[in-house]
Amino acid sequence: MSSAVKDQLHQMSTTCDSLLLELNVIWDEVGELDTARDRILLELEQECLEVYRRKVDQANRSRAQLRQTIAEAEAELAGICSAMGEPPGHDRQSNQKRHGLREELNAIFPYLEEMKKKKVKRWNQFVDVIDQIKMISSEIRPANFVPFKVPVDQSDLSLRKLGELTKELESLQKEKSDRLKQVIDHLNTLHSLCEVLGIDFKQTVYEVHPSLDEAEGSKNLSNTTIERLAAAVIRLRDTKIQRMQKLQDFASSMLELWNLMDTPLEEQQMFQNITCNIAASEQEITEPNTLSTDFLNYVESEVLRLEQLKASRMKDLVLKKKTELEEHRRHAHLIGEEGYAAEFSIEAIEAGAIDPSLVLEQIEGHIATVKEEAFSRKDVLEKVERWLNACEEEAWLEDYNKDDNRYNAGRGAHLTLKKAEKARILVNKIPGMVDVLRTKIVSWQNERGKEFTYDGVSLLSMLEEYTIVRQDKEQEKKRQRDQKKLQDQLKAEQEALYGSKPSPSKPQSTRKTPRHSMGGANRRLSLGGSTLQPPKTDMLHSKSVRAGKKTEEIATLSPGSRGLDIAGLPIKKLSFNASSLGETETPRKPFARITPGSNVSTPVRPIVNNIEGDENRTPKTFAALNPKTPMTVTAPMQMAMTPALANNVSANPVSLSYGKQEALASNNVSATPVSLVDDRPELTLPEDTEFSFEEKRLAVYLARQVA
Amino acid sequence: MSAAAAVPAAVGSGKELANPPSDGISNLRFSNHSDHLLVSSWDKTVRLYDADANVLKGEFVHPGAVLDCCFHDDSSGFSAGADHTVRRLVFSSAKEDVLGRHDAPVRCIEYSYAAGQVITGSWDKTIKCWDPRGVSGTERTLVGTYPQQERVYSLSLVGNRLVVATAGRHVNIYDLRNMSQPEQKRDSSLKYQTRCVRCFPNGTGYALSSVEGRVSMEFFDLSESAQSKKYAFKCHRKSEAGRDTVYPVNAIAFHPIYGTFATGGCDGFVNVWDGINKKRLYQYSKYASSIAALSFSKDGHLLAVASSYTYEEGEKPHEPDAIFIRSVNEVEVKPKPKALAAP
Repeated sequence: MSSAVKDQLHQMSTTCDSLLLELNVIWDEVGELDTARDRILLELEQECLEVYRRKVDQANRSRAQLRQTIAEAEAELAGICSAMGEPPGHDRQSNQKRHGLREELNAIFPYLEEMKKKKVKRWNQFVDVIDQIKMISSEIRPANFVPFKVPVDQSDLSLRKLGELTKELESLQKEKSDRLKQVIDHLNTLHSLCEVLGIDFKQTVYEVHPSLDEAEGSKNLSNTTIERLAAAVIRLRDTKIQRMQKLQDFASSMLELWNLMDTPLEEQQMFQNITCNIAASEQEITEPNTLSTDFLNYVESEVLRLEQLKASRMKDLVLKKKTELEEHRRHAHLIGEEGYAAEFSIEAIEAGAIDPSLVLEQIEGHIATVKEEAFSRKDVLEKVERWLNACEEEAWLEDYNKDDNRYNAGRGAHLTLKKAEKARILVNKIPGMVDVLRTKIVSWQNERGKEFTYDGVSLLSMLEEYTIVRQDKEQEKKRQRDQKKLQDQLKAEQEALYGSKPSPSKPQSTRKTPRHSMGGANRRLSLGGSTLQPPKTDMLHSKSVRAGKKTEEIATLSPGSRGLDIAGLPIKKLSFNASSLGETETPRKPFARITPGSNVSTPVRPIVNNIEGDENRTPKTFAALNPKTPMTVTAPMQMAMTPALANNVSANPVSLSYGKQEALASNNVSATPVSLVDDRPELTLPEDTEFSFEEKRLAVYLARQVA
Repeated sequence: MSAAAAVPAAVGSGKELANPPSDGISNLRFSNHSDHLLVSSWDKTVRLYDADANVLKGEFVHPGAVLDCCFHDDSSGFSAGADHTVRRLVFSSAKEDVLGRHDAPVRCIEYSYAAGQVITGSWDKTIKCWDPRGVSGTERTLVGTYPQQERVYSLSLVGNRLVVATAGRHVNIYDLRNMSQPEQKRDSSLKYQTRCVRCFPNGTGYALSSVEGRVSMEFFDLSESAQSKKYAFKCHRKSEAGRDTVYPVNAIAFHPIYGTFATGGCDGFVNVWDGINKKRLYQYSKYASSIAALSFSKDGHLLAVASSYTYEEGEKPHEPDAIFIRSVNEVEVKPKPKALAAP
């Protein structure tokens, strides 16, 4: 209590005392009775008490009010904090100790205000999000849809809740954009379909939902709208497919008609855009108005026009088809079965006896069957073709072989020779061809149960005929060959008696030209085949003359007159020559014949080789073999056609040595054949087989060992 | 002439190996790893020389003449005997095992590094493949027997290809991975008996020589273009006073690096050829007697020449058998491309 108030109280108490004294004085004067005095004093006392009590009550009331205010503020604060999901920032307990109630109140109030502001702000955020959610919901959900099952109020304004709402909003936004995309997709498809079909797009869309037609503004994106859009798309697509098929039908019939009637190209050009779509799929037809009803009608009318035109030109058409049929039959070599020709007689059509379109259909049917049959016959026909070609070649070859001057080197002779060579190869293949053809025909006939005819003739009988003719020919040839063989044998015996044997196949050209030209070689090559032909009667004579000439020639030839004999001929051809020569030659075992019961002789050294004609003569470059001057200069290799040896030397060394001996005999060159002792027959080698030096050596060694 | 040739032969023929076989040399081969030389001979021996040092390193004596030999690795080899027997020779221990037997003398033997097998060709008209690792008994070593039309005269290997030349001028080409039947059956392009066949080192074909002074160059590829390249040429012939003398071509050896090849004939000459450019590159001076065998060393710097009578004229007196080691000059074996046509 401040001193001023104390002083006041002090003064007041002094004043009370002085007033009491004054009262006593007054009373004394008055002479008031004591009882009266006591009563007044009591009244005074009571009045004073009254005043006190009133003051105390007043103070008490004000305190209670203050407490209530604080409590209310705190409650409100707590409410806000809990709604906002924040911890209460105000600690009342700690404050109570230090300050009075008023100060406490003062501390709470600004905080409360601040929280209130925060709350308002948060609420605004909520409202914002909720509004958006409601708006989107209304767009994408059906009209009766309630966006919030639990209404959003201010009881929960926590950030968590806000987050939830925002998420919901985002998902809604996404859904909306998805739906929008879907709708736009549908609309695009619809648009292209409408364009192709020639239907008003705006009208179609308006029927689905009025809002879709508007270029701007929100579109209705509800499920029903989308479903209806999809249905519209499917409906239009079906229509499109139907119309497309119709159009393609038209187009194909149009093409047929054009084809049938040879419609000029200019006329066709107008419908090019239709016919080009004839095989198009649904997706490929995108051009506007291609499938509109007008357009379809237009095409249909054109088809009808063509149909009418066709009807009017039916006779021409029947004729045309008929020639087509004939063409097919001719191509498949089916001619000769004209059983149905009467069916299509023009006269009947002209007379009106048959419906031309029926005939046309029949012809079409025939064409189809002929085509099918031609396909089945194709394989055989190809073979027949080749066989006929080969027969032609054969005929040519026969003529050619009869020409005695065929080896004369005239202009283009080498070409004919080549042709003959090819023809021979082909002719050799004919029997195989015929066999294959026969099995093919038989299987074809078995499969179909009818005869295979070729231009009306049974192909099998053709083949039989050919085979018989060929067999006759072969027999004739064989007879001639046998005769020739007999002659050869005769010759061989002669030769055993008198030495040199005429070379039957020695080409004349080698005498004429010392160096081999291409032409000469070719001539020689064709000899292999020419042996098939009947031998000429004067052959033996000419050969012996030739042989005689040859020996003379060899005797007079000097090494210097011989050039290098590099023949550029591939070995392959040569080996052909060799093998064909080998066929015609009779295998010779002349060794036994010449020196009967003689011992094995080994190839002699030096082997004199000059019987072999030009190609084997060693050129004079061999002078370089002189051992005193080792060569560092490159000398050309002496390539020669390997088997180009004369025919009178066969391929084994025993007969080689025989050949040498023979040569030695005729050319007077000395050689000493080495002999085996012949008294141990088990050690001697068989005479008619070739042996290597090593085998002979081993035989000698073994013989020595036994000895 | 032979006397005159004998003198330069001593100088220009290369280094003559000491201790040569006492009878005809059937074959000689350089090792693939060193300059060791394996020599088989009619004197029933197989000899191993160090060609560089001119030292006889080992000798195996067989019961019969030895017709061929080959290396396995540097420490062992194989021999083919006239006593029908195929033997494995171990050089370090001088021991030998019998791999197996044919029904007739074994003419030739090859070892395939690709297949790890020994391949022998015999006059019993078969070739046999042997696994040299199974050393006890024929049932363990013999891989297969493959009949031929005729007696086998020569074998050659390149990669997985085996070329078999037989009497009757047959040539069979096998793939070692499928020996059941020949990949190709051919006849020799040459008219006369086959002496020797050797594959090109590049594996595209083979060279084949005959008793009649000719060598043919053939290709495996059967296509027209490849076959059109084949050819034959004459060699080892002599023309004297209007007389042509033709000698057998006994040996062919390909240079391992250049692919050129040497041929040796009964005329005692060794010729080196360039098969691609169709040129003769070199002719060495004449040897005293027939060239029985030829072999280039692994790097192609040495050429072993067996100068030994090959019995082409039967029993007769002849020069002593000798082996010469030539050092090969590059100019003798390097291919010379065709010169441009002179203007």
